Amino acid sequence: MGPLSRDVWAQRLGAFRASPSAFMAGPEAEDLGRDLLGDLRNEKLSEQTKVSLLALSLEYPAQLWPDATAAEVAATSLLDTLVLLPPRPSALRRPLLLAATTALAVGGALGPTSGASCRLLPLLLGLAAGSDLGRGFVPASEQRPLQATACECLRELESCKPGLLGGSLGLLRGLLGQEGPVQPLSLLLSLALRNTLVLQSRAGAGLGALLTARVSPTAGGPWDWALVEEGDGRLQPQAPSWPAAEEGDGERSLTARGHSPEEVRELRAAVAQLLDTSYLLTPVAQAQLLWLLGWALRGLQGQPPALFKPQLVRLLGTAQLTLLHAVLALKAAFGEALFTAQDETLLLRRITLAAQHPALPPSTHLFYLHCLLSFPENCPLGPEGEEAAPLLLGPQLCRGLLPNLLHEPTALLARLHLLCLLCAEDEEEEEKGQLPSPGHYLEELLAGLWQRAALEGGPRALATLCFQASYLVARCLAGQPTVLTPLIHGLAQLYRARPMLAPHFVDLLDQVDPELREPLKVVLRQEVVSRPGRDEALCWHLQMLARVADGDAQSATLNFLRAAAAHCTSWDLQQGLLQVCRALLRAGVGGGLVDLLQVLARQLEDPDGRDHARLYYILLAHLAGPKLGVALGPSLATPALASSLVAENQGFVAALMVQEAPALIRLSMGSHEVKGPLPVLQLLPEALEPIYSLELRFRVEGQLYAPLGAVHVPCLCPGRSARPLLLPLQPRRPAPARLDVHALYTTSTGLTCHAHLPPLFVNFADLFLPFPQPPEGAGLVFFEELWDSCLPEGAESRVWCPLGPQGLEGLVSRHLEPFVVVAQPPTSYYVAIHLPPDSKLLLRLEAALADGVPVALRTDDWAVLPLVGDYLRGLAAAV
Amino acid sequence: MAQRAVWLISHEPGTPLRGTVRFSRRYPTVEKRARVFNGASYVPIPEDGPFLKALLFELRLLDDDKDFVESRDSCSRINKTSVYGLLVGGEELWPVVAFLKNDMIYACVPLVEQTLSPRPPLISVSGVSQGFELLFGIQDFLYSGQKNDNELNTKLSQLPDLLLQACPFGTVLDTNLQNSLDNTNFASVTQPQKQPAWKPGTYKGKPQVSISITEKVKSMQYDKQGIADTWQVVGTVTCKCDLEGIMPNVTISLSLPTNGSPLQDILVHPCVTSLDSAILTSSSIDAMDDSAFSGPYKFPFTPPLESFNLCYYTSQVPVPPILGFYQMKEEEVQLRITVNLKLHESVKNNFEFCEAHIPFFNRGPITHLEYKTSFGQLEVFREKSLLIWIIGQKFPKSMEISLSGTITFGAKSHEKQPFDPICIGETAYLKLHFRILDYTLTGCYADQHSVQVFASGKPKISAYRKLISSDYYIWNSKAPAPVTYGSLLL
Repeated sequence: MGPLSRDVWAQRLGAFRASPSAFMAGPEAEDLGRDLLGDLRNEKLSEQTKVSLLALSLEYPAQLWPDATAAEVAATSLLDTLVLLPPRPSALRRPLLLAATTALAVGGALGPTSGASCRLLPLLLGLAAGSDLGRGFVPASEQRPLQATACECLRELESCKPGLLGGSLGLLRGLLGQEGPVQPLSLLLSLALRNTLVLQSRAGAGLGALLTARVSPTAGGPWDWALVEEGDGRLQPQAPSWPAAEEGDGERSLTARGHSPEEVRELRAAVAQLLDTSYLLTPVAQAQLLWLLGWALRGLQGQPPALFKPQLVRLLGTAQLTLLHAVLALKAAFGEALFTAQDETLLLRRITLAAQHPALPPSTHLFYLHCLLSFPENCPLGPEGEEAAPLLLGPQLCRGLLPNLLHEPTALLARLHLLCLLCAEDEEEEEKGQLPSPGHYLEELLAGLWQRAALEGGPRALATLCFQASYLVARCLAGQPTVLTPLIHGLAQLYRARPMLAPHFVDLLDQVDPELREPLKVVLRQEVVSRPGRDEALCWHLQMLARVADGDAQSATLNFLRAAAAHCTSWDLQQGLLQVCRALLRAGVGGGLVDLLQVLARQLEDPDGRDHARLYYILLAHLAGPKLGVALGPSLATPALASSLVAENQGFVAALMVQEAPALIRLSMGSHEVKGPLPVLQLLPEALEPIYSLELRFRVEGQLYAPLGAVHVPCLCPGRSARPLLLPLQPRRPAPARLDVHALYTTSTGLTCHAHLPPLFVNFADLFLPFPQPPEGAGLVFFEELWDSCLPEGAESRVWCPLGPQGLEGLVSRHLEPFVVVAQPPTSYYVAIHLPPDSKLLLRLEAALADGVPVALRTDDWAVLPLVGDYLRGLAAAV
Repeated sequence: MAQRAVWLISHEPGTPLRGTVRFSRRYPTVEKRARVFNGASYVPIPEDGPFLKALLFELRLLDDDKDFVESRDSCSRINKTSVYGLLVGGEELWPVVAFLKNDMIYACVPLVEQTLSPRPPLISVSGVSQGFELLFGIQDFLYSGQKNDNELNTKLSQLPDLLLQACPFGTVLDTNLQNSLDNTNFASVTQPQKQPAWKPGTYKGKPQVSISITEKVKSMQYDKQGIADTWQVVGTVTCKCDLEGIMPNVTISLSLPTNGSPLQDILVHPCVTSLDSAILTSSSIDAMDDSAFSGPYKFPFTPPLESFNLCYYTSQVPVPPILGFYQMKEEEVQLRITVNLKLHESVKNNFEFCEAHIPFFNRGPITHLEYKTSFGQLEVFREKSLLIWIIGQKFPKSMEISLSGTITFGAKSHEKQPFDPICIGETAYLKLHFRILDYTLTGCYADQHSVQVFASGKPKISAYRKLISSDYYIWNSKAPAPVTYGSLLL
């Protein structure tokens, strides 16, 4: 493909960005990477278009150049393009450097044997050092931005290959001391220093030498591929997560080896140099520097963290999220060594203040609140990793952090958590000051939440918030009856006010510990069963009862169900009712349930419902308790179906979810019956396992017949012969057809299954019906009248019908007997067949020879002629 | 510390997708590290389409909450921060930092440099705060001085280039995108001296320093036994320093009159070089006493080029500027209201404007109104069920004004009257809106003579002050009202 115009590129890039995967699956995918590299040198394209091409390569190098070889080629091409730029200012140099770096790093091509790497690295280091690269390679106006960019590229390469710049530490320090750009060099040096400290403690190279050596960037190259090897190419976390780092072997090894006084002095000097100029960095970059240096020096012998102290007051005064977060990281890294008890208090107060300062945005408040509850204390009590209020954070400090109803959901939950933690402590200490009791405040807050959730027409988010709050309280204060009792009471009231929240209650019961679950179940059951059974909210009551019904309060539950049964007129209500019965069955309720199930098996309108009721009745009457449990318990193969798929408005519950299953039934065709006004298929079902409530559904391909009704079978058992099933057909045209068959049935474990059975074929002859029998002796006249009526609209034909050994007489008696109108055995038969819906077929079989008989035929429907021909010719072969 | 990807999504209620990805940027080198660090728990960054859908679902912005959906509504899915786990393609992408502001959703995914299972605490992930700051920076850039959609679109189109400067490889270098924009313009400047990274160039021109103090006062007044009224002042000091030289030094002092209310909870801009420990420790968390530090509050700093917020503070003034009560009673088919407002004598009685907004929630439009005021005029917004009492520039000599009346409402229509979960029944509030120029409630001022500037030339120094109301609520004292824990402290 030749060079593409700007518009074509814009369109192509747009299509790619809309869905990279779809684009890459398309026809243009293959050429994209190549075209892009080629057009970067196309002089007709504007710089702006080229920048957008490079932007794409910065985001999607893995799609453009998927393997190391392609990445190497791409990086080489990008570097060539860079070298070929005319010596005037250009917007392309920066993105070209970034793109070459990205291609090498992402494609996995970076290494000592890669030609592109060996070109890029010295170029970057040369640019970073501000060296004169000759031939006007860098226009003066671009020198500083490119110097910064080169540092960024090196930093990225060092991040992907830790240790790479181990040999350049001295050079970078020297540059930082001169007039180099402070921020890029500081960040690069601190990262390289950190990685070297981690790796070199394994390698054993002298740190002091590294920090002071000045390598000329143009000579052989300071690339420490050996140090990279040492790290096994393992990435080094630049800011490790603190609890995990405690156990990390990489961190431990830092302390394993002491440093000589010389090395320690050099290291201190390097760190002090970095910290002294940190004020010149942007706040986010300052934070990065502190994370890197803090974790680099942590645990290093002879390196007191006092170096950081002069920075802290300045940092503590700011509102910058990144800076306070970095101070917290230093706190976690050094603990008491950097923060005395008083310092710790000050830090805690600053975070507390920031968590509620009206000048900061809400998401910042929430993050600081999280930091408070995960505060790295000098002397932590309690298990690590769990959120808890720090010891120093008493109710007095928390006053401004407690929730109220005006808060957004996230803020309310975060603050509620704090309130719960305070309540838990309050309970332990019983030290009442002048402050109002947190427990009392919590109670009022929950009451407000319940009240809001109970509002008719309120959004679901309010209900969700209310249940999340209830769950949080239950989890934090599980052991406190003074909290749980009002909680249960409040929830019961909420249910009374708004039963449509039943799914939330069921979910809550599933999530909470038994301490709340059991008493809450009792109260909610009472709420439900004390109502008359004909509530508008009956479906919610049934859903709730299916979760809370158990062996207790049987008679009240059964009374409620009996009353409700009369109002369960729709399918979903009936299913809801049966779910409760099922729950009772599993809970081992006998007695009254038997009667109820018997009533349901007779009364329910829906056959499926009746069948289930009957099944439950049979199970209850015939199985002992433990077996019943197994029969009703969720099948081991499908445990995940429990509760999560329950769709509230349908009332399906796990076991009644229809599941795809292999066919446990075989269907075969029985003999062809010819009586009545319609052709009827006889089907012989055979089950491989006991199945219940079988419903067979048929679909005619091509709409040749009217839609077929379903066939129901209450029960099928393997080995027991079943009665044939009759399937009447209503052809719209006299033609054979294929029937798709689906089966819906219940297994003995109570699961409802759906299976696709092999198709059934309806033959042409299956549609044959006899004409009404003419009076004795009038047969010939009747036949001749029919014969004559076929023409002129119809068709006449002659077909040779081969005869087998049984001769004409045998053939007719086997296949055509019911349709014979006039017979003069063994030589002549007149046959009249009614083809539904309203066609006729008349056959004269006369003057048979040894191997066949000529058949004269007439029909009023010419379309059936080929079918008749096939039929007659196949008769001899058919047994 | 790095980000794996950044998105800007406009929230568009009523459209089929409910939103559009306006900008996205992925960082493949960071993604490569994420794959290694996260190991078996690695979840790749999804394409924009699936991400949009999953984020809107998680933020409850799809407006399809008719049914209970466990993955969203389960009581155990509790989010206590603006960091989310998104279900994408059956896997959970975490941590996704996201927030909604002005119908724009800002989102990014920070790199976590370890396995995600079990999830490390957020506090230990350095990229989270970096991600927040990047998003705040983008938000500031998009909405600073922006007036209309065209300007927003222009700024959005500048984002790819700006992020190439401010965050080329996913590690944020500067959250001030305006700096990055200026950086390209200042590119030709070569400075021999150390130049701060947050100051892309130097100012040339007449030296001047402008300081403006804006105080916002908020209040919750209940007029009830057992519940204390609360109020608080929040101050912002904004500076613009046009001074020559790379790093000019400036010190600004904020002073209080003798009876002024001490400043507390002071947060400063990162360019402030040192802080008095009295400033660092004066906090509203502690019980107040007479020994509280009352200034002057000195802030030495090296100013950036742009206008910036030198510091924020709060203060607890002894009395609210306007004390009021509001009584509302339902009487058969109508509501009877009585409002009384009193301006405190110490407050400057010269408003730019002063209004009391009296909304009626969860009711129909106003059909009939009879009222009597001792002062000002009443505007009636019948369809919005809102009364606005325009008090004007001055309270009368008595400093006290009142309004009473009866109101009848029509039938409620759900489209025009959004549901309010707080103001149910007789629970109701009125909200005061006012502004007083050249005045602060704390008395705080920047003394022009105390501003020290160490730079060439004598700068012109100008100072401004104003007081604005914000969240100034007076609740119906005849019905329950939402209270804060602080209101229970008597």
